[in-house]
Amino acid sequence: MSQPREAQQADAPGGVEFRGLVASGISRNFGPVRAIEYMDFSAPAGQVTALIGPNGAGKTTLLLILASLLAPDEGSVRVMGVDPVANPSAARLQIGWMPDTLGVWESLTAREILLVMGRLYRIPKSRLAARVDELLALVNLVELADQPARVLSRGQQQRLSLARALIHDPAVLLLDEPASGLDPGSRIALRRILRELAAAGKAVVVSSHVLAELDEIADRAVFVNAGRTVLAQTVDQASAQGRRYAISALDPAQLAGQLTRLGLRFEAGSGRRETVSLMLGAEPDAARLLHDLVLAGVAVTAFAPAGGALEETYMSMDAEQR
Amino acid sequence: MTTVRNSPETLDAPRRTGGFAGYVDGIRAVVGMELRQRLRSRGWYIMLAIWFVLVGLVTGLTWYIWTSEQNIHAGFNGSAGALIYEIVLAFVLLLALLVAPAFSANAINGDRAGGTLAILQVTLLRPGQILCGKFLASWIAGLAFLVASVPFLVIGVLQGGVGIGEILVSILMIAVEIGVVCAIGVGISALANRPLFSIVVTYLCVSALTLGTLIAFGFGALLSQGTVMANQIYYKNAGEQYGADGSLLPSNLKQIGGVTDQDSDYACYGPLVEQPAVRTDRVAWLLGMNPLVVVADAIPYPSNDSSLTYGGGMLESASQAARAAQAGPDSTTMCANGKIGPAYFGQTTPLWPLGLGIQLLLSAGIWWLGWRALRTPARRLARGTRVA
Repeated sequence: MSQPREAQQADAPGGVEFRGLVASGISRNFGPVRAIEYMDFSAPAGQVTALIGPNGAGKTTLLLILASLLAPDEGSVRVMGVDPVANPSAARLQIGWMPDTLGVWESLTAREILLVMGRLYRIPKSRLAARVDELLALVNLVELADQPARVLSRGQQQRLSLARALIHDPAVLLLDEPASGLDPGSRIALRRILRELAAAGKAVVVSSHVLAELDEIADRAVFVNAGRTVLAQTVDQASAQGRRYAISALDPAQLAGQLTRLGLRFEAGSGRRETVSLMLGAEPDAARLLHDLVLAGVAVTAFAPAGGALEETYMSMDAEQR
Repeated sequence: MTTVRNSPETLDAPRRTGGFAGYVDGIRAVVGMELRQRLRSRGWYIMLAIWFVLVGLVTGLTWYIWTSEQNIHAGFNGSAGALIYEIVLAFVLLLALLVAPAFSANAINGDRAGGTLAILQVTLLRPGQILCGKFLASWIAGLAFLVASVPFLVIGVLQGGVGIGEILVSILMIAVEIGVVCAIGVGISALANRPLFSIVVTYLCVSALTLGTLIAFGFGALLSQGTVMANQIYYKNAGEQYGADGSLLPSNLKQIGGVTDQDSDYACYGPLVEQPAVRTDRVAWLLGMNPLVVVADAIPYPSNDSSLTYGGGMLESASQAARAAQAGPDSTTMCANGKIGPAYFGQTTPLWPLGLGIQLLLSAGIWWLGWRALRTPARRLARGTRVA
């Protein structure tokens, strides 16, 4: 087992003390399998950072390392400046972790689970009951609070899991696929909760496959593939790098003709309706094209980004990998 | 917005400091959580009910056998109380050893499979607290079975012939033995990946302790051939006797020279000669690890050799046999070193502290390995282990 790299790597570039979560140059093997290789990751306080990558890219392994459950073979992790390998207890006070596998004690009630968790984080009894009530209200489980967890649906268990991760008011929140299994209402509630947590100064890390959703939640994204960090960018950067738009009109032929006249390359859309899709630069370009089309008399019925900004990056990244 | 924001100060500031009290509270939280789940599972009550019926059945049958025996031989030696007590005790011990792995040997890897272990590990719980909490919870669950069989042991006491001290010590020792099995089970469940595997291994450990120790003692004794210095025995109440050389011995002790030791029945005489003997004292520790021996040997019985209070029951016989093995041929061979050995091994030479000590050492070793496997952040993982 190799020695962890020196600690100075934990500081952000520029040497200023970085508030949030930093992992630098971490590697982790499982036997002969290299799950993560020299991965860099940072999640600043006050922002939601999306962790994006295909299945098996090392997202869960990275989150386990960040959650202080796995030690990296190489590299270092700092959670609000604390090294979880050297001082796990101090780090764990700062970390809230919601795993992708929903571990639920089935015969315990939601309230009991939260009470026990609070006790394990040594929250004083006098405050714990109020804290549990507050979290049950936050995740909308008040009515089910005294039902055994086994009667909760997957989405409800997911919400309970989120409440559990928040019980000790951690500064860093690590969520592994939090949106899977949630109904649309719960997704919107989750989005609201995560934005509120970020606004309250927490570093929130979300791994997810639902990319369009991350556009709304995340401030920045880290793309990983095959155990390596491929790209880190903000959502604004992702939006600015150009994205694919889908356009449809009452008369598709007229639309196609006009686009050809404007000298734009386009292709038939992949959707159900008869649309065309094309790459556009930043948003002003899109606005100008729509303006031109309408002026030219094309009866545009739909003009919208074909996918999320992050999805665009993800797809281009994926293409690079092939 | 206000729902989430809960400034760190209000929650963190008076957080209880760690220290011993905090450590114990973490263990208590784990125990409480485990027991609460246990009390809500129906299988647990079914097991208890089956247990109660089984022990009751054994008690009833013993009672029946004793009364029919009474009818055949009037004045059958021994009291019903002692008989029932001994049989029920042995049965409870055996059954407890069989039941204990069932709720200890999946304590930790069961949680791992259910995805809840990592949730505990990510809190401030330390590996030792998880081990202790799971162990105490399974031990308490095991003790519930012991408590369920107390009524039947009390029947034995009410029938007379068994002292209250004996019954208290025997219950205490069975409780300790259940604890040993639970400790081994919990330790193995921290090590093994799959619950099925750890349960089987724990059962193998239990059979190694109960049967394996007897077999190992047998083989060990066969391999421990040694010698002992002894001279000849003279049976005072016998008729014609022959010496070691085949010659007829004089019928009067006074005619033999060199008597080294004698009591009312025997005398030792003649020169000390090296004789082959089985050095059971070298392998007695194997026998001592047997839970039945530990329990039987720990139960106090009056250290006299004639007036046996409860008929020299099987527990006492087991204890005496174990102590004889421990004492070895120097004490058990007649006229070893020219002395008449003790016919009875007193309380000064108990074997159970050694046996229990070895059992505890074994458990401690497994716990140390289990503790290593539970440490987080984890460096090495067993093959195929998924943290969460």
